[in-house]
Amino acid sequence: MGNVLIATDWLAACAGCHMSLLDLDERLVELLYHVTFTSSPVTDLKHPPESGVTVGILTGAISNTHNIEVARRMRSRCTYLIAVGDCATFGGIVAARNLVGTQAALTRAYLETESTVDGLIPDSPELGRPLDIVTGIGDVVKVDIFLPGCPPRPEDFHYVFAEVLSGRIPVVLPRENFRYD
Amino acid sequence: MSAVTITINGQKVFARAGWTILRAAQAAGIDIPTLCHHPALAPIGACRVCLVEVAGQRTLQPACTFPVADRMEVQTESPKVVRARKFVLELIFSERNHFCMACEMSGGCELQDLGYRYGLDHWTYPTYTQRFPVDASPPHHLLDHNRCVLCRRCLRACAELVANHTLDLRLRGANTMLTADMDVPLGESTCVNCGTCVNVCPTGALIDKRSAFMARPADVERVATVCSQCSLGCGVNVVMHRGHVLRLESLWDAPVNGGLLCRTGRFEALADGRPRLLEPMLKEKGQHVPVSWEAALAAASQRLGATAPKRLGLFTTTRLTNEAMGLLHAIFVKHLKAAQRGASHGAAPGMAACRCGKLADIADSDLILLAGSDPARDQPVASFLIKRALDRGARLVTVENQPTELTAFAETILTPRQISQAVALARAAEKPVVIYGAGLTPAAATALRKLETKAVFIPLHPGVNTLTAETLALNGKLNAAACDTLFIAAGEENGTMEAVMQKAGPKAFVIVQASYGSALTDRADLVLPMATWLERSGTFTNTEGTIHRAHAALTPSGQSRPDWDILGRLAERLGLDAAIAKDAILACRV
Repeated sequence: MGNVLIATDWLAACAGCHMSLLDLDERLVELLYHVTFTSSPVTDLKHPPESGVTVGILTGAISNTHNIEVARRMRSRCTYLIAVGDCATFGGIVAARNLVGTQAALTRAYLETESTVDGLIPDSPELGRPLDIVTGIGDVVKVDIFLPGCPPRPEDFHYVFAEVLSGRIPVVLPRENFRYD
Repeated sequence: MSAVTITINGQKVFARAGWTILRAAQAAGIDIPTLCHHPALAPIGACRVCLVEVAGQRTLQPACTFPVADRMEVQTESPKVVRARKFVLELIFSERNHFCMACEMSGGCELQDLGYRYGLDHWTYPTYTQRFPVDASPPHHLLDHNRCVLCRRCLRACAELVANHTLDLRLRGANTMLTADMDVPLGESTCVNCGTCVNVCPTGALIDKRSAFMARPADVERVATVCSQCSLGCGVNVVMHRGHVLRLESLWDAPVNGGLLCRTGRFEALADGRPRLLEPMLKEKGQHVPVSWEAALAAASQRLGATAPKRLGLFTTTRLTNEAMGLLHAIFVKHLKAAQRGASHGAAPGMAACRCGKLADIADSDLILLAGSDPARDQPVASFLIKRALDRGARLVTVENQPTELTAFAETILTPRQISQAVALARAAEKPVVIYGAGLTPAAATALRKLETKAVFIPLHPGVNTLTAETLALNGKLNAAACDTLFIAAGEENGTMEAVMQKAGPKAFVIVQASYGSALTDRADLVLPMATWLERSGTFTNTEGTIHRAHAALTPSGQSRPDWDILGRLAERLGLDAAIAKDAILACRV
């Protein structure tokens, strides 16, 4: 395990971006000589350590108040924040909800689907409250690197890691590592 | 036009007065990004992506419309320009749904390319929230307003190229919407479904239904060929993915159509659901039995050779290549001397002494005399060219017994009896063009010959390669009932072919060379499977008399073979000297 600390978390996401990160395959082993993943959605430790990390990686859109909380916590505990995927950068597929409105989307999903029996819209104080408008992460916290893609290719992750580990923060990614789809 | 010198990014560039900055830059190989600009359309400066800095100008100017002046100094990628372009792109991206991951055009979208070029990796403006309608009412294409960037390419193509004026805009500002006629669904509008708008759309707003989401634009290949649906010979690009045809596209530098295609040529030429014939078949005891090509050709040559010329018949579609028609001429006219010959279409009457024009001459005329022809139905691209000339101020005189679609655009509507009035009108015009078809009556033809020194004559032959069939004497008086053996080169045609077959006696031996199974091939005693127009190369003589080369995009299905290949092998079987066929082919290159 290397000495650069990385924490990652997801917001309103499908996990595709994290899958693509894992698709680095054997390059992941090489990467682990340089970095340590402190926390992730699939490890026991979910939250970035209070002592802070160098790199924070967030995937998914801002769709409810819980997402805002997670994004702000990551921002406050990392030096460089990378927004990964179309949802984190633009709102992506999650932002399709904006076209019908949050209430209509909840009603359809929890009450009106063909398979629904005794539907109920979740309403617990423990849950995040859905927002009226889905946005990218940049609308809530300052983002240092935007890595769009649905999902970004493993090569794109590799490029960004290589740059950051060399002490460079790309302003805009080069064309070959920059895709919307 | 006088030459001017301007400076672009510090580089001296020679241009001509009247050119735009964009044109001068393109001529010098300097890249200025564009979105609403299309080389075939008049520039309007709608999108502001091509903004450049011109010394002395208070604001940035669109390169696509701003004219050059001597000693002008232009910056195309200065920080100010790049900032403005990013601003423009962010506005366009934020206005509607421009998420690429669910879009058919991703990978071939001009807006996406610009996003990459200027590094748009997040949005400064609020995420879009408005939902726009999708109009899927046309039979072959659909309009997704959510992907529209209001570049107006489609409506300019509809007006400037097709002269159909169906598309336009309604409302203002951010509420602007593309609309058909007086805001009706496209499928109920005056749209002629030519698909030119689909071809010019820079994003995924107008897409082809048949091929949507079947392949990424970066993965397709294109083969340029010639459309075989009418006698114009329009150039067309066959778009393919791994050996499958996706769609047909305009070929912008094609001499006849210059990027235009009609509904039949762009969409319906691919929508053929008829069963393909994949192997030669011989009828034995009332049943079709698959046989080898050798056996099929042996049976054909034996039967053809054994039939008396008077009782030997040939009926051909006009869709065959020059090469195939040359071989038909060599076999049936020269060698077998078949007395009974016919073609699916006859040519328009000859106007030997008259100046024979090209379709391009329509654009320069001030009066168009249309007689005995319905181009809107039979050669739609010619009707677009005529309507374009009318938009420019030319007048249309129709001479028809029945009104056609173009009659509505005519200034003077006459019947063949009033042909002398039409001739008088043409005489008074400066550059009259006479467009005539096979429906021209002999009397009217005689009257029109009086214009031979005055007007340019453009025949619109019905059928496809009709001119070659006529030149090679394949079209004569066929009495199918008098035939012992009837060779029907049906190709991809059905209707007229079946009518001829029905007249043939029950004992006649019918050989059918066709691509698709039909009542015709059911009756046939011998079936020779033929490749379709996408599967064979060859040449065509179009209605102007110019020769166009078609290129095979696909390999023939099953054991089917190109028309000229089948006939070439048949000629060989009959012991023909190959030189006769070659001479005939060369002879039809008028």
